[in-house]
Amino acid sequence: MTSRKTPWLLCWMAWIVFVASPAATAADELEMTLVIKDHKFSPAELKVPANRKIKLIVDNQDATPEEFESHSLNREKVIAARGKGTIFIGPLKPGNYPFVGEFHDATAKGVVIAE
Amino acid sequence: MKYLLVIAALALVPGFAHAGPDAYVFMPSVTYGEREIDFKIGTAKRPDEDRESAASLGFGFGITEGWMSEIYVKYNRSGGERTKLDAFEWENKFQLTEPGRFPVDVGFITEIERPKNRDEGYEVTFGPLFQSEFGAVQINVNPIFQRNYRAAASNPMRLNYQWQVKYRWRPTLEFGAQGFGELGQWNHWAPANEQSHRMGPAIFGKFALGGRQAIKYNAALLFDVNGEQRGNTLRAQLEYEF
Repeated sequence: MTSRKTPWLLCWMAWIVFVASPAATAADELEMTLVIKDHKFSPAELKVPANRKIKLIVDNQDATPEEFESHSLNREKVIAARGKGTIFIGPLKPGNYPFVGEFHDATAKGVVIAE
Repeated sequence: MKYLLVIAALALVPGFAHAGPDAYVFMPSVTYGEREIDFKIGTAKRPDEDRESAASLGFGFGITEGWMSEIYVKYNRSGGERTKLDAFEWENKFQLTEPGRFPVDVGFITEIERPKNRDEGYEVTFGPLFQSEFGAVQINVNPIFQRNYRAAASNPMRLNYQWQVKYRWRPTLEFGAQGFGELGQWNHWAPANEQSHRMGPAIFGKFALGGRQAIKYNAALLFDVNGEQRGNTLRAQLEYEF
């Protein structure tokens, strides 16, 4: 009886995979860079356009790893020492979205300002 | 009477294990270099049946940016019996897309479990993991396939599911709902009254302890919405990240 549902389930999963495929990606990603140096983010205030997807390149120039963490952006990513990482954020509504470097949160603080 | 027959049938097929009360919702993302000690616990009670409880203790490590591996030791307890070793498990999770790059984030989970009851053979679990977000709302849906190999009795591939919706209110307190279900054989689902569907409210949160350390939690009260196949369940997960 219910075996007829299985093909629908498989179709649904295939659709999800298609949606997640590069072919279905919006091409208007805006690339921006955030530098970590001396356990601080630069710029500490990163202004981005609202309602656009942002490809954020995090360049960690310190000799220790750092974890970019933001609850409001729902992102958490470890950036290797003297390494780079890519974080996709948005499209964001206008507003402020704080983030920290969790491994050095006393100094590594910043905010994404979508406007 | 029919209910009793179904329960008896499930109990007589050693390979037809089901998701225990400590089951949890898999996330598709991986954090590179993260180590975690992971404790899960759950308890369920069906009317006129012994309370069933289960717990597991695991250690996980983010080996690469896309691969996390975790080993578990699992325990269970039924009724007034003492708590006993249930199984060892090795879980590997793969992050297949960078979070936020596409409308849906995709991961993949594999688990192999060696139950202490050797008649159950090896339980293999696998399936894709999907996550999407709409503002502060995060949605997870995971179809999960499961089968016991080298079991005393032959058994088919089974299809389970799990889902979660949460509103990310504050880092220390998010709220939403979770659900778990078991549909029977993957390509020939069980009749509706033999399927298991549990769902209910859930809370989530994270407390940063400074440096690399943090404690994450989530807990849910799941109501059996389909004839008490599994009973109402209280489950929780506590992770110490370092």
